[in-house]
Amino acid sequence: MRTENEIIDDFTTREYEHGFVTDIDMDILPPGLNEEVVAFISAKKEEPEWLLEWRMKGYQAFLKSKMPEWQNFKAPDVDFQGISYYAAPKDQPKYDSLDEVDPELLRTYERLGIPLEEQKLLAGVAVDAVFDSVSIATTYKEELGKLGIIFCSMSEAVKNHPELVRKYLGTVVPYSDNIYASLNSAVFSDGSFVYIPEGVRCPMELSTYFRINAQNTGQFERTLIIAEKDSYVSYLEGCTAPQRDENQLHAAVVELVAMEGAEIKYSTVQNWFPGDEEGKGGIYNFVTKRGICKGDRSKISWTQVETGSSITWKYPSVILKGDDSVGEFYSVAVTKGKQIADTGTKINHIGKNTKSRIISKGISAGYSNNSYRGLVQIGKGAHKARNFTQCDSLLIGNRCGAHTFPYIESRNKTAMLEHEATTSKIGEDQIFYLNQRGIDPEKAVALIVNGYAKEVLSKLPMEFAVEAKKLLALTLEGSVG
Amino acid sequence: MLAQIDVEFREQILNDYQGVSECQVCDKPDYLVPIREVAFSFFQESGFPTLKNEDWKYTPVKRYLNEPFEVDQEDTNTIAPADAPYFGKQLPGYKIVMINGRFDPEQSELPDSSQCTIAPIIDVLREPTVKERLSKSRNYGANPFLAMNTALFTKGIYIHIPKNVKIDHPIHLVHYAGGEQKQFNITKNIFVVEEGGEAEIIESYYHSGHAPVSFRNSATEILVEPNATLHHIKLQKAHSNLRMVEHTEVEQKQDSLYNNYTFTLPGMNFVRNNLNLDINGSNIESHMYGLYLTNENQLVDNHTLVNHREPDCESNQLYKGILTDRSRAVFNGKVYVHSIAQKTNAFQQNNNILFSDDAAIYSKPQLEIFADDVKCSHGSTIGQLDDEALFYLRARGLSKADAQSMLVNAFAFDVTEKLVDEEIKAMLNEEIDKVMTGVIS
Repeated sequence: MRTENEIIDDFTTREYEHGFVTDIDMDILPPGLNEEVVAFISAKKEEPEWLLEWRMKGYQAFLKSKMPEWQNFKAPDVDFQGISYYAAPKDQPKYDSLDEVDPELLRTYERLGIPLEEQKLLAGVAVDAVFDSVSIATTYKEELGKLGIIFCSMSEAVKNHPELVRKYLGTVVPYSDNIYASLNSAVFSDGSFVYIPEGVRCPMELSTYFRINAQNTGQFERTLIIAEKDSYVSYLEGCTAPQRDENQLHAAVVELVAMEGAEIKYSTVQNWFPGDEEGKGGIYNFVTKRGICKGDRSKISWTQVETGSSITWKYPSVILKGDDSVGEFYSVAVTKGKQIADTGTKINHIGKNTKSRIISKGISAGYSNNSYRGLVQIGKGAHKARNFTQCDSLLIGNRCGAHTFPYIESRNKTAMLEHEATTSKIGEDQIFYLNQRGIDPEKAVALIVNGYAKEVLSKLPMEFAVEAKKLLALTLEGSVG
Repeated sequence: MLAQIDVEFREQILNDYQGVSECQVCDKPDYLVPIREVAFSFFQESGFPTLKNEDWKYTPVKRYLNEPFEVDQEDTNTIAPADAPYFGKQLPGYKIVMINGRFDPEQSELPDSSQCTIAPIIDVLREPTVKERLSKSRNYGANPFLAMNTALFTKGIYIHIPKNVKIDHPIHLVHYAGGEQKQFNITKNIFVVEEGGEAEIIESYYHSGHAPVSFRNSATEILVEPNATLHHIKLQKAHSNLRMVEHTEVEQKQDSLYNNYTFTLPGMNFVRNNLNLDINGSNIESHMYGLYLTNENQLVDNHTLVNHREPDCESNQLYKGILTDRSRAVFNGKVYVHSIAQKTNAFQQNNNILFSDDAAIYSKPQLEIFADDVKCSHGSTIGQLDDEALFYLRARGLSKADAQSMLVNAFAFDVTEKLVDEEIKAMLNEEIDKVMTGVIS
């Protein structure tokens, strides 16, 4: 990475060179990052002054931040000046028909059981009139609107509900949180915004899939979900199908706010391109996800199934501020080839009687490394706080690694914490048992792994869980023997 | 980086290094000179660890070092008071008296020289086993105190158990500390148990409390050869004026057994134990048992690292903690299993009870596994005494203090029962009763 001075030098020399000051019509910015770029993005999106200022603060924080060094892998050198930070949403589909799409990709879709029309959408093929995703989305939107639920893109929210965005943006993940969060704050392109009013139980699973204009929100997504008093929402992110994406670095930020008695359930299935055999070219998934249980008796639950990306580096966290609030984290991370996963959670117990539960299942195969890193912190005032953590690792082969780094801190004598972790391999006797019953080794492994991950998969919304199961089996194909 | 400490203390350290490296009468074997140089330049560069060092994240050593310490003063006048009531005094066995790290043969009761060799470290630097131990490369980054120790040591003890010798009684090392000035003492010990040998080494500590504070920077290198057995017991209880960092490196060869018991009881202001095990052979068994019972503003930090390099070995860690008052404790364990170390069984457990809201515990059990056919697990709990159990005992007429100490003794039992020595067990139980009587939860 370049030093701060170099970046500043670059900025000062570039200032007049290009002079793209207010060229609003431009669709793609040339690669590079400086204050002008931040201002350009903000202007292009017609953002209010306060948001521009906030972005600038994020940019300043980014300049000051250093790359972390505590992670259990060598962080790739990301050339922040080599990225283009703005591209207008493409109207043009990439392909005209499915015949042009990589047949390997199509085979995978088929095996995952994805409907034809959906396949087209995922692969970036023009969708024909029969499958009108827009109209479906609109129907849903109307229904949600009746309940007072706001579900739109971040840009729309900034325009239509600036007071809400201003009140909550950056309150859970401040712009100075970490280098990638700062970068995201400065240049975030778009994302989702959800607002559930008091007492409303959102009748359907919300997902970016149904949000129009959701395509190409790009690599710096920003999601903000607010659940008012006694409301409930379940949000799905990602997709089991392999996603086509040209951007290597993904640095999203997700913020969740749960008020008194509210519950937010956030599920992720991530299957981005893991890179080739050498581990080159895969996606870097560096996401900052955090939720705050602001009010009493509120609940936030993270569920994640991570199978893709060359590096997955994220710790969905919960701050348990309200009394009797509950935080949950369920995770399955599968790595193979040369993939790296350094993931886990942070739970901060601040309020009384707060409870948290962490279940993490890591599966490593090939030459991959899979780390669980977690922090459970019990503050002084967190009387009768309760935590249960279980993180299990499964190794397939002896060229991969499984690592567990839990941090457990307690400052309260009435708190109860439990942590347990195991590392093992798939028993030969288990495979033998299944072989005897006519199940081939490959299917046997899939079956065993699914059983192993069941505790987490069962937390996913039903349709998602079915797909995730298939995905696990598919991911581990060829890693036995 | 050394700028972080008191000017006088820093001066002292630099002078001491000069003294060690330019000393005319001392034995300076060729192999040791570069080792000391590397260690000292590392230490000068890094200074004492700060909270930014991941291995010292919860251990602010600066406050314990912020004194105008005198480093390793040549002090032959101090004699150990014969009636000093150190913890473990009543235990039978041979006795080695160490005064501020200096071996005092006159006050010691040594085993017959046919049984084993016991000598000041500085006299045996040319022994091949000593050379081999001292030449091992060590991770100074994780413990800069060790770099300082290697660069500056002139004192310490060498214990060598020859082949197939089983020492008939435990060897009891008593470390006396204190002098007229505030002292910083550096000790390097080497224990070698040759093939088929067996020994039990107990360590006790003493500081009168009348003398000013003293800081003990001790490093012990241990080699347990094939088929050998070493029981190593530390009874860490002394006056609060004693602070210490004890670093222990153990290398085990095939079919050997090493048992470490570390008991840290109320008293010493600051205790940091680093216990690193190198499992370098097959069929090795290692056990590490720890018990820390802390009060007032004690800080007790236990770091362990078990490195499984060979297949078919078993390591087992059990650390239990009871924290009262404003005390803090850290447990940081790491098990590392290399890819060839198949069929490794490694367990790690840390249980804690907090008796006060002002106490804090930081537990970090870690696993790094690169082999698939292994059984490795760890567990960590933090909690309190079971109210129902307390009620049961109270309902049967026990006072709160009695009930409490009975339950704490039961909690500690998992560790103390592992001791073979009944006398030490009884001593510990008594101590727990004494401490718990005063604690109100």
